[in-house]
Amino acid sequence: MTFRTRLFVSFMFALLLSVALVAAGVTIVTRRAFEELNREHSDATLAQFQREFQRRGKDVVERVKGIADAEATVRMAIDLSRTNADVSVYVNDAHGVSRSHQLDILDFVSNDGTIISSEESPARFNYKMEWVTKPEDWASRGAFLTKLDTESGSTLALLSVATVRVGDRDLYVVGGERLDKGFLASLVLPSNMRALLYLNLTPEFQETNLIDSSGPAQDANRFEPLVEEVRTNPVEQSGEIRWSIDPANSEMFHAVPLFGRSKELLGTLFVGSSERTVVTLERRIRWLALGVVAVGLLFGLMLSWWGAARVTRPVQKLVEGAREVAEGNWSARVDVRGRDEIGQLAKSFNQMTEQLVEQRERLVQAERVAAWREVARRLAHELKNPLFPLQTTVENLQKAREQNSAQFDEVFRESTGILITEIENLKAIVGRFSDFAKMPLPELGPVNLNEIVRNVVKLFEGEFSAVGRPAITPELHLEEDLPTIQADATLLHRAIENLVLNAMDAMPAGGVLMLRTQHSATEVNLEISDTGTGLTPEETERLFTPYYTTKQHGTGLGLAIVQAVVADHGGRISVESETGVGTSFHIELPIKPPFKPQTFPMVFEKKEDEA
Amino acid sequence: MSRRLAATSLILVVVLTALPARTARRPRYGGTLRVEMSATIASLEPAVEAPTSEQAAAKSQIDGLLYDHRDADGTFSGERGNGPFRVTAWEPGKRATLEANNNFREGRPFVDSIEISMGVTTHDRLLDLQVNKADLAEIPPQDARSASERGVRVSISKPDELLALVFNTADSSTSRKASVREAVARSIDRAAVVNFILQKTGEPAGGLLPQWSSGTAFLFPTTTDPARAKELWSQISPAPKLVLGYHSADPLEQSVAERIVVNAKEAGISITAQAIQNSAANSAPVRSQASHVDVTLLRWRMPSPRPEDALRDIVLVLNAGPLAGVNSTPFPDSASPQDIYNQQRAILDKFTVVPLVWLPQVYGLSARVRDWTVPGPGEQWPLADVWLDTGPDAGADKQP
Repeated sequence: MTFRTRLFVSFMFALLLSVALVAAGVTIVTRRAFEELNREHSDATLAQFQREFQRRGKDVVERVKGIADAEATVRMAIDLSRTNADVSVYVNDAHGVSRSHQLDILDFVSNDGTIISSEESPARFNYKMEWVTKPEDWASRGAFLTKLDTESGSTLALLSVATVRVGDRDLYVVGGERLDKGFLASLVLPSNMRALLYLNLTPEFQETNLIDSSGPAQDANRFEPLVEEVRTNPVEQSGEIRWSIDPANSEMFHAVPLFGRSKELLGTLFVGSSERTVVTLERRIRWLALGVVAVGLLFGLMLSWWGAARVTRPVQKLVEGAREVAEGNWSARVDVRGRDEIGQLAKSFNQMTEQLVEQRERLVQAERVAAWREVARRLAHELKNPLFPLQTTVENLQKAREQNSAQFDEVFRESTGILITEIENLKAIVGRFSDFAKMPLPELGPVNLNEIVRNVVKLFEGEFSAVGRPAITPELHLEEDLPTIQADATLLHRAIENLVLNAMDAMPAGGVLMLRTQHSATEVNLEISDTGTGLTPEETERLFTPYYTTKQHGTGLGLAIVQAVVADHGGRISVESETGVGTSFHIELPIKPPFKPQTFPMVFEKKEDEA
Repeated sequence: MSRRLAATSLILVVVLTALPARTARRPRYGGTLRVEMSATIASLEPAVEAPTSEQAAAKSQIDGLLYDHRDADGTFSGERGNGPFRVTAWEPGKRATLEANNNFREGRPFVDSIEISMGVTTHDRLLDLQVNKADLAEIPPQDARSASERGVRVSISKPDELLALVFNTADSSTSRKASVREAVARSIDRAAVVNFILQKTGEPAGGLLPQWSSGTAFLFPTTTDPARAKELWSQISPAPKLVLGYHSADPLEQSVAERIVVNAKEAGISITAQAIQNSAANSAPVRSQASHVDVTLLRWRMPSPRPEDALRDIVLVLNAGPLAGVNSTPFPDSASPQDIYNQQRAILDKFTVVPLVWLPQVYGLSARVRDWTVPGPGEQWPLADVWLDTGPDAGADKQP
């Protein structure tokens, strides 16, 4: 991942996080606000219900009192106060009176609690309604809730009791309204709200006991947890009911416990408010937030891209400049302006490359001087040996001529012979230098490295077991399925030959010469090891330096040639050596050279060219 | 002192002897008798059978005015129009006008004509009686007291109609348990039904025949025994749930059914009342066999004041239901009241039929109707003997 991409991603992440936090914050705050609004709405509705309930209660009290005060009721009370009064004559009175006063429930109850006439249970005449005769100030009691058993089943009712006293006997008038679907339908509620009533008539939850304004409520079983909660803890509770997966179809219900005269739990009123409005508003806000987020993200995307590009462009130039420097273009410059850190970095980079170029020039100069000095030293050293016999021979020849010695001719022949031999040595020395200078470019072709190794070993077989010198035992560990490589067989032969010669020179007391080939997916490996005297670390470090040698008669060009050949094939050579143990050379050659072979950039060659 | 007493007695004898002579009126011919009934009669043709028992009874009453002779089996014979009246106008299901037959062999009826209005509700009949728009109308027994209190002249027959519970032993496995039937029977408070629902117009029924007919009705208990009912019900496991059917168009049946439910619940018996609205409700025997009810209410009117005939009739009526297998052959002439009692006892001990109350026939009369006698079981309305007192002081004295 590039720096620009990272920067862009970081910008985007930061932007996304910020937008998400803002959106979440707005959503939460909005939701809380709506919930608060909804709660206030519910509270207002509950308060409205309480007022409506109280109003209904007062209304019931007034109507029952009106019945009790009516002349017909007083006459009934007077009649019933007589001994052996015929109560059967009043058995149907409750029906007409209740209809005229619009009461669902009306009972005329005698002094001893016997039902004389009943609207809600016409057939219960002559049975007792004992609770009404218990001492209680009915006049100040007001309306109350109670459970009522009628012929159509048990129900809850809002009742009031009034008494008509004649002498020491009371006639009780019990009247009220059922808390049924009609009662719920008469409640004035906002359009998104509804009221349901659970009649606590059975010990266990029963779906049929839950009614709404149209009758038995649908999916009543969903209310069971709330009902049970109110039963367990009879205080106002609330809970949400989801009618489907869509949250808009959920309702928030406030459950209000309804108590009877003895504070017993008689029912639970559910005031439900639809969540649709809130959910719809929330959705709108969410979509709006998403839209803002999308636009913000798009804008942020472009801004981040522009910002990342603006920030990384100088860095990219620095990278390109560094890459050019790495590729050898030390004159690379970075065109970055500005006084910020990046500008200062670019300025430093340019200064650094300038200094590098200068230092390289100075280093090249120093190396050239050192190389020339080395060449001069080697030439002096190489040429000094043949020149000394030449000088001695010529001086002997002059001395013999001055002395007119009879052996002059003989001296002359010997001297000219020596001269010719030494001159040949000089020519040979010059020739080797010339050969090194004229290292040819490799001509690639299919080469079997094992075959070259075998040819080289075969070439030196006589030398390994020559009379008068300790024997050297060659050991070949050649991988049979070594792949053919693209290489110059002649140059490789020469390089391996040099390494074998070096190994032989390192084993004056004889030893084992091991040659091993193997390959990997991309290259073949050649290891040439001896059990010779080995090298010191200093020697190992300078081993491939041209004209460096540890031998008395070496030119110091052999391993330099080997390194040049390996490098020209795109390979690598390394050496491991331990004094007294031996030396191992490792050559790694690519099966296919990655580039067109070039002449190893040797200082010496340049010097020759310059010369 | 004894002289004064003798003189006072003499004066009283003279006054009491002279008073009927002063108040008695001679029958008058003429006038139109206005009769209102709740039933609707679609046709007077003998071949057309009335769909309900109420309509059949109403049709029988009209036929009794049109035919001269009635056979022992209750059917009319002879030519229609040979009776005291003949039909002059007929609107099916609404109105009929009958004209006096001058050639009636027993003499011309007193009234010139009779206007019969059909399908009139109880409320309207009572109102019409109150405002003298009707001369004769049937009144439900439970309304007799209030009608009388509202000034309507009421004529009440001997109790001759039985309201009873009939268990559906054919279809209901619950009703086949004798303990279930007995528990229900013992839970019912008949006196309350008579006193409150019937407003004391009727009698608690313990037997299948009324006391005035059989003389043995008092031997059948009519008291409620909720404790025994509770005890019996507690021994039934699992406790069944009973359905009590009643005729949806009969408010008396509904009230009694609801009261039975209340009585039963007080005894711990689970029973619900259910109105029967289909045609099955129109025929009590068929209704009793409705498969979805366990027990139903039956209204049965005695066809004859003779106890042996009446008992045979109810056995025949219920022979297809709970009294299946009961001997329905006519009692011999030598049958004693003991024999009739024994058969009743045998039937009632099974609790398949539970008599509840005896109902009288109640008629409302206008003040001008004279010489009306309440028809007994199997008797026709005596409209040929009725005359209308249209004099200035008509209604000053009232017949019971």
